[in-house]
Amino acid sequence: MTYKVTEEGNISTVHLDGEIDMDVTEKAKEVIMPLIEAKKEVHLNLKEVQYMDSSGISVLIESHQKAMELGTKVTLKEISKSVLKVIMMAKLEQILNLD
Amino acid sequence: MEQTNIIDLDEKRDFEVNSSNLKHVRSFCREVFEKLNINQELKDELVLAIAEAAQNIVKHAYNNEQTEDKMEIKISVSDGHLEIGFFDKGRPVEKDKIRHRKIDDIKPGGLGTFFIQQIMDAVVFKEGEKPWINHLILSKNLNN
Repeated sequence: MTYKVTEEGNISTVHLDGEIDMDVTEKAKEVIMPLIEAKKEVHLNLKEVQYMDSSGISVLIESHQKAMELGTKVTLKEISKSVLKVIMMAKLEQILNLD
Repeated sequence: MEQTNIIDLDEKRDFEVNSSNLKHVRSFCREVFEKLNINQELKDELVLAIAEAAQNIVKHAYNNEQTEDKMEIKISVSDGHLEIGFFDKGRPVEKDKIRHRKIDDIKPGGLGTFFIQQIMDAVVFKEGEKPWINHLILSKNLNN
């Protein structure tokens, strides 16, 4: 997994790329969580994520919950087909902010 | 006998038990499923189920601890019936404790087993024959 962060006003966009599994979840959290803790609105661009398993889904849930707790928001952008399928399998499409 | 246009196969590979090998588990599965006349969506689901089961071995049978142990994954197809065997030498699985979280209980974790059950027709835990401790069998009829 690789990533790139871009900033525009109070919105930080994290562009994730590659496969997100248990091996990279800590790395993903290390990038995303400080942005949420800084009360940024976070956009996760998942266009280039070809695979995500339950560990990756846990990062999405954790990020979403942390953002709610701190009064900010995480939005999933340009979700790839394979990631959307896993989100729907987990029945999270009504819970997470999908755009 | 049931007619099928899915070839029979029998392939196995072992992997060191650690999270950095999960990508190699997926590569092996993709390589094997490429030989089967099934749609891409099903191939992707099967790769996910296998990767989740392998992840559970790393996480639960070995508590994510460093080890030189290997797990073995065996993929067999016969008459359109897929059987995937997982063999490991970790802590014995306590079958009664295996359950996925309630799907409406939104919290991180506990989804892997839910995905496996969604994707596969049957999930069976057996005591492994020596030298193995655990033997998990996932199966699915590919003719449906």
